[in-house]
Amino acid sequence: MHLTGYFLQRLLRGLVTFWFAVTVTFFLVRLLPGDPVSAVASPSMTEEIRQRQLEVYGLDRPLLAQYFAYLGQLVQGNLGISFLSSQPVSKILMERLPWTLLLTGTALVVTVLLGIPLGVLAATRARGWVDQIVQVSGVIGQSLFVPSIGIFLLYTLGLLAGWFPIGGAVKSDLTGFARIASIAHHLVLPCLTLVMAQLAGYVLTLRATLIEALGEEYCDLARAKGTPESKVIWKHALRNALLPTTTLIGLQIGFLVGGAVLTETIYAYPGVGRAIFEAVGQLDFPVLQGAFVLLAATVVIANLVTDMAYGLLDPRVRAG
Amino acid sequence: MTPAAPVAASAGTTPAAGGLLAPADLTPGRRTWRAFSRNPLGMISLAIILVMAVVAIAAPLLAKFPSGYGRDILMPPSAAHPFGTDDLGRDVLAQVIWGTRISMIIAFAASFLAILIGVALGVLAAYAKRLDGIVSTLVDVSLALPVLPLMILVAALIGPSVTTLVVVIALFSWPEVTRIVRSQALSVTRLPYVDAARTIGGSHFWIMTRHILPAVAPIIVVSVVLTASRAVLSEAGLSFLGLGDPESWSWGKILYNAQRSGALTIAWWCTLFPSIAILLLVVSATLVSIAYNDARNPKTREN
Repeated sequence: MHLTGYFLQRLLRGLVTFWFAVTVTFFLVRLLPGDPVSAVASPSMTEEIRQRQLEVYGLDRPLLAQYFAYLGQLVQGNLGISFLSSQPVSKILMERLPWTLLLTGTALVVTVLLGIPLGVLAATRARGWVDQIVQVSGVIGQSLFVPSIGIFLLYTLGLLAGWFPIGGAVKSDLTGFARIASIAHHLVLPCLTLVMAQLAGYVLTLRATLIEALGEEYCDLARAKGTPESKVIWKHALRNALLPTTTLIGLQIGFLVGGAVLTETIYAYPGVGRAIFEAVGQLDFPVLQGAFVLLAATVVIANLVTDMAYGLLDPRVRAG
Repeated sequence: MTPAAPVAASAGTTPAAGGLLAPADLTPGRRTWRAFSRNPLGMISLAIILVMAVVAIAAPLLAKFPSGYGRDILMPPSAAHPFGTDDLGRDVLAQVIWGTRISMIIAFAASFLAILIGVALGVLAAYAKRLDGIVSTLVDVSLALPVLPLMILVAALIGPSVTTLVVVIALFSWPEVTRIVRSQALSVTRLPYVDAARTIGGSHFWIMTRHILPAVAPIIVVSVVLTASRAVLSEAGLSFLGLGDPESWSWGKILYNAQRSGALTIAWWCTLFPSIAILLLVVSATLVSIAYNDARNPKTREN
């Protein structure tokens, strides 16, 4: 019962967040200096052509009317027309989205799979030298600039060692298993870049919460009953320590998406991020706006999923 | 920041050397500084930041503004060019020096603006219950969104310049500050002395600025440092995507040039040195804030 209420509340919050994102970008785009009118219609045009141009893009109507028209179009999955390629923005971006989802999804899974054992290692050897190394590298890891990591990996593992391709997402004219292998091969360096960028946050959070959990009374009780320490850590303490980590996933997804934009730029990875980089160079505002709206929707949905997972994992939420 | 706090705490191994002096005679500020100055990591980090600040201020004396074309193209580091040269033969060391100037100016201006907005809204939300709902929702919603794509959109709309970068970074950095300041200020507004101030008829403005603000000041110090270090990364990110000021050098722009010209795959020195500069500044800022937190906290002060 309480769970349904919790889910509904989260869903509402997700919808408000998405509405906010859409509204803010709409008015920013219309009110800031580089507005769409000057992008599609220059003062040097004759009044007649200018007017027709504005009508084509619906820019001659009052701002609020444009806003509701935009919302209406958005509900139908229409994100406007690219200034440059004259193709629908949604078509351009939907071709790119699967690559970004593949990249960020893989990076997230790998980060969590690496972060849990590392966090356990640091927490169970608290104050020891392993812990010191983990903590110092944690601080450095959280301070890394994503393109710096990307360029470093590209240069060392891609160019010097030659182990991995340094650009693109897949070799063309491949089918079946060879194609999947090629996709995986191209994914390694961009994925590793994102993993290195966010691993530290997970390890440090898990370390702190696990140390706290291991000092709790239920762990002492388990030990008193003769439970082996490894079982106390992995079965009792870790389960509880993973809850804040689940929350962290939700908080970090926005950062992960930002990192993907930078990473895709370096590796010419054909995702939404690379589309953003290309649109910046050509001042293609509808694509930039659409990309943000699409990424905001992705983040909101991902947040909903982690919230739901949290609700299912935490009995306190279930019981209200 | 908090999960990493023990690093500095356990690294500051110096025993209580000043044990003979009664600590009670010192003001809290001096006590914090004494504890801070005993933390080697914190002091080294502070020194690095100060050196970088000097480099930023003295940039015109240290190197000629990198412009035009040079004859030595893509030369590896040598005596004449310690950091090598880029694809147009410009000295990378000079670029990094001038980049320090812009990167630090933008980081500090943006963090100053973000702190102003963030602290004002944070204190206001904690004090005025009616505004709390709106501000908190606004903060939650902004923190849930992917900030970089939004910054890119706005920076592209306004057009790239140093001012644009400052405004855009500040515009999307204040929610984090508000979140931290609000939660701290909330606990302060419940304390009896705030009620006392209200009872003697103090105005809301006076209570907020003279009684609540000083109580959250330490949090603000930490926020300034962390917001500035995050601003360094945001500036570098935007410049790397081609949204840097076309007239000036920043660390992100050096990387952008290397990426655009393809020097990235030939000349490691074009990207390594600006990357190190970014890392040094951000790590130092993080360590300074951790050391400051430890020094301020009586539990970790090891007295």
